[in-house]
Amino acid sequence: MVEGTKKRNKIFDYFCEEDQFAGGVAWCAGCPLELTARFVPKVLGKNMVFVGTPGCGAPVLHGQNVGAWHKLAYMASVMTGVPSKATGLSRYYNRIGLDATVVCFTGDGCATDVGFQPLSGAAERGEKFIYITYDNEGYMNTGNQRSSATPLGAATTTTPVGKIGRGKPTVSKNMPLIMLMHRPAYMATATLSHLEDFAKKLQKAKEKVKEGFVYLHVFSPCPVGWRISSNLSIEVCRNAVRTNYFPLWEAEEGKPRFTVEIANPKPVTELTKLMRKFSHLKEDGLEELQKAVDERYALIKSLCDANK
Amino acid sequence: MVSAQKGQVMVITGNAVAAYGAMLCRPEVVAAYPITPQSELAEQLAQFVANGVLDAEYVEVEGENSSMNVVLAASIAGARTCTATSSYGLVFMYDALQEASSFRAPVVMVNANRETPGIHAVSSGQQDMISARDVGWVQIIVENDQEILDQIIMAYRLAEDFNIQLPVMVNYDGFYLSYLAEAVEIPNIEDVDAFLAPLKKQPERQKLVPGVSIGCGTHGMEMGYVEARYKHCQALERVKDKVDEIDKDFGDYFGRYYGGQIEEYRTDDADIIVVASGSATGTVRTVVDAKREDGVKVGLIKLRMFRPFPAERLTEAIKGKKAIGVIDRSLCFGWKYGPICMELKTLAVNIGSIPILSYIDGLANLDITVPHIERVIDEVSAAAQGKPYQEVTWIPMEE
Amino acid sequence: MVIKHKNIFKTESAWSNADESLLCLDTGSWRTERPVLDKEKCNYCGLCALYCPPQCMKDMGDHYEADLAYCKGCGICATECPRKAIAMVPEGEFADG
Repeated sequence: MVEGTKKRNKIFDYFCEEDQFAGGVAWCAGCPLELTARFVPKVLGKNMVFVGTPGCGAPVLHGQNVGAWHKLAYMASVMTGVPSKATGLSRYYNRIGLDATVVCFTGDGCATDVGFQPLSGAAERGEKFIYITYDNEGYMNTGNQRSSATPLGAATTTTPVGKIGRGKPTVSKNMPLIMLMHRPAYMATATLSHLEDFAKKLQKAKEKVKEGFVYLHVFSPCPVGWRISSNLSIEVCRNAVRTNYFPLWEAEEGKPRFTVEIANPKPVTELTKLMRKFSHLKEDGLEELQKAVDERYALIKSLCDANK
Repeated sequence: MVSAQKGQVMVITGNAVAAYGAMLCRPEVVAAYPITPQSELAEQLAQFVANGVLDAEYVEVEGENSSMNVVLAASIAGARTCTATSSYGLVFMYDALQEASSFRAPVVMVNANRETPGIHAVSSGQQDMISARDVGWVQIIVENDQEILDQIIMAYRLAEDFNIQLPVMVNYDGFYLSYLAEAVEIPNIEDVDAFLAPLKKQPERQKLVPGVSIGCGTHGMEMGYVEARYKHCQALERVKDKVDEIDKDFGDYFGRYYGGQIEEYRTDDADIIVVASGSATGTVRTVVDAKREDGVKVGLIKLRMFRPFPAERLTEAIKGKKAIGVIDRSLCFGWKYGPICMELKTLAVNIGSIPILSYIDGLANLDITVPHIERVIDEVSAAAQGKPYQEVTWIPMEE
Repeated sequence: MVIKHKNIFKTESAWSNADESLLCLDTGSWRTERPVLDKEKCNYCGLCALYCPPQCMKDMGDHYEADLAYCKGCGICATECPRKAIAMVPEGEFADG
């Protein structure tokens, strides 16, 4: 036993509750979504209601007849109804003085595409619930179809690579910035490689949701769909941050600031080399992707700088 | 026998009276999106909240799909809720309508009937209600402003009944009733409280509570799915007697009876029957009275409840009659008969074959007039005497 | 109609109840390799336990051990360990594999 840290890692101190999920659930080996789903109630506490929807979340968040895979209260919804159901729940619970957190947990397909309108509506109205998007950049549960969160050049089953097709021809919607424009009480980007950052943001979310709308955007790569070796999921998250592909920032009342600043960002190829969804891209394609990453980063940086 | 105090008489529009009806029942979460011809209802409810007359969470949603989701979720959490819509709004919330009834959320919704879907029109018609007939809701249609208010009160008593637990849609003809100001008696809120009080004595329904390990909307797998559907259908069957029971209680208490699932007007000794629904029923009543003066033994059946279809009461009411004319204010795509006529025809197997004539009329704000109804009665009368008749008539197309 | 079906739900509509029925999959049977810890190298930093997606690492006081009933063999613990104290070893090498 090597001398050194014999004290428990302090990140465990952020947990106020034990794991609410059953030991064995049907998420893929190495799936960051599993880590996220188990992590969130450990930090927020079990006095919460999950509102889940079809996607990678549903097979575990929702039950099968009387059986359930976790011990939390939940409401299942079709994708168009998630934030509105959360509105109804949170309005009523607040009205009757129940101390509870309503948490929407959806994929990017729901948040950026089919469920965007009600999300935008709820954010604008300042509804008091937490909306968490697990961004695996596509409709992964149905087999990797593109969503508007799929990045430029990515190969998916609906933007496949062939004689003519070179992957998705457009950049993704900048969902975190879109939500920033709704001036939520609190919002943040987070990922699984930076767990303490994520835990702090969850704690702040629990505090700020008493004042208004909270949005969390979690970068959650899909080992199966993106063709990542299952042991590299966390490394992918880390490189997404280190290349500024997925900058980590937060905003209280619409004022953004970085929570992690990368002094010497790596080229985006350090990220793309870990997966096969970009393997068809040649130099010019990778340059375009780098340009898109740089532009996006410059925009959020200018907003953070303006806010200093 | 305890009865309610006389309420205050006001002359107000159908939309406003619907807002009063909802307000008197003390909903806790209200969501509304404006759509012609219902917008005034949404505004009146907002005004009640702003003035402290209604203590409720009012959610000004960004679309009707959201308004239904807001109220169904709040309802599952335990709230009494209310929303209102019309035509395209009803269709936009189609997925949520199905979740509301499958989750067995006792939501009450007011629908100002308007032509839809597909042909853009801002006019009265029942196509919106018909297009949503298989969403598993209770659907009731009213004739006048007073009935709007009364039916909303009865709707809460029905929806929240422990043995029912189904969402209820109260329909009234847009334009004809929504903007029509009539003298209406507004009951005292204490009397409405008393009328709804029996619900408090019933067992509590299943609710979603944070911290309690239950989940709403679990995947229905195989027999789990079948069982839930079966229970839903059984509950719809129980609605029939319950509607009649509540109507009687309402009449005993407030002094106004509506007949429950159907109203039978001068049908006892009638040879022929006209079946109608909604605001046009008033006109049919007048023509029936006039024809009776002429010695025609005609009666009127006002269809109040469309879902569940009042098969048993209708069968009883048409037994022994010689011919029936059904006026439909909507279409059943794929069948030549109107929807109410088509469903009524299924009862023929119980009573023996008699002529059942289908009349399509009153679409797109075109009135169902006195001459139209006279024509219906004349033709049905002729059919009853064995003369040849036209099975389906689109009255406006023949003018 | 003679009904033979015995009700699955006590409720009118489809509600799940984790207290009555908490489901669990035998995810331990998924893996093709399992994490093996060299205790000499471990300094109890806890990163393996924090990063483990199924959260199946048991706290043994001075090191962590994977609960083999649920470990899916993804290999994240081995990759993330800063001291390379964990090796992923094929299941075939174990008597209970």
